[in-house]
Amino acid sequence: MAKTIRLDIITPERLFYRGEIELVIARTLSGDEGFMANHTWACKLLATGELWIQEAGSKDFRIAAITGGFIDIKEKFTIFTDAAEWPDEIDVERAMKSELRAKEWLQEHSRDVLNAELMSEAKRDILKSHTRVNVAGGGARRKK
Amino acid sequence: MAGSSMQDIKRRVKSVTNIEHITNAMKLVSASKLRRAKVTFEKTGEYFHFVTESIEDIFNNSADIPVKYLEGNREIKTTCYIVVTSNRGLCGSFNSNVIKQAEAEIKADPEAPVIVAVGSKGRDYFLKRGYDICGEYMLPPENIAFIETHDVSSPIIEQYVEGKIDEVMMIYTSFVSTLEQRVKTVRLLPFDIKRDPEVTPLEKQVEYEPSIEDVFNYLVPKYVEIMIYSAIVESATCEHAARRMAMENATDNANNMIADLTLFYNRARQAAITSEITEIVSGADALK
Repeated sequence: MAKTIRLDIITPERLFYRGEIELVIARTLSGDEGFMANHTWACKLLATGELWIQEAGSKDFRIAAITGGFIDIKEKFTIFTDAAEWPDEIDVERAMKSELRAKEWLQEHSRDVLNAELMSEAKRDILKSHTRVNVAGGGARRKK
Repeated sequence: MAGSSMQDIKRRVKSVTNIEHITNAMKLVSASKLRRAKVTFEKTGEYFHFVTESIEDIFNNSADIPVKYLEGNREIKTTCYIVVTSNRGLCGSFNSNVIKQAEAEIKADPEAPVIVAVGSKGRDYFLKRGYDICGEYMLPPENIAFIETHDVSSPIIEQYVEGKIDEVMMIYTSFVSTLEQRVKTVRLLPFDIKRDPEVTPLEKQVEYEPSIEDVFNYLVPKYVEIMIYSAIVESATCEHAARRMAMENATDNANNMIADLTLFYNRARQAAITSEITEIVSGADALK
């Protein structure tokens, strides 16, 4: 069995997760990255995406949707994120609707160059909702 | 004459009793809201230190961090004041305490202030006195989500980065106990951090991705956001505590008043009876 390490996932509102894990896969700004015990110390920013956690002694992954944040890799792992949700907490219908709404908005305003900030916000919204739908459905990519 | 004054007193007792019922109900409502708010408040406090620690970690371990968030990077001219009050009244001196302190700070500042109001009481006060309110947040603070506080914090951070404001101060009520709340003024930006010589650098190299500046530039605004969020949550807790106290006092006062009025009523009634008896007796005497 692989070596385990403590992982804390913190949001401003609550302690989202705390437990011994073998592997955590998070989406950093440069792509998905897996972290195991004895990883080089690091401090990386995370993008909006899925978070896969393999708990100690388990073959399966637990999935969560997170919205940005950072991961701190030292003697223990800490993930700090603005919001995190387990699949069963996600309202799929609402997420789908908001994804659709953001997409429509983006299409209508695609020629609007002045609103760069709103555009990126809409794109973020799409990504966020998309992730939530995916996570609720068991993750975008399944483990082989 | 005695009859009408008795009627008056009776009417007053009735109205005071009604008020007592209302304040008592409000006290109970505030007490239960306070309990809920306290749970949220305690949770936010628990994890807040984590971000501060990470910032200090980075600060103590690297030389080339960007200075734009740090103290002394530029002269402080325009100060932004975040005034955290409530949306509702009937909570004793809760709002006026915050407003008083905020106004004192603003008056002491020679430059024109930039005011961001959280809660309608503070906004109304400063609007009435001719200040410009450049940002406001009016939703009920009881069940505010962290994401929602972005509406308050992100424009502030933007303006700070653009150089429109040089300092961010926040005036809010901090929770000491259910019986005591204290108005506090804290400075959010520039970030006041000292290189602590006692802290030993971490024994291992830390990898920062994408770069140390990016991580630092992410963390500091996050720190500000969390500070604002936790202040709003804390202030909501205080509001309920203050209202509970105010309503308890009101109920006590109403009860005292009812006791006094009942005494007056009985006295007036007795006086009426006595005078009636005297009248009858003197009437009977006259017939003899």
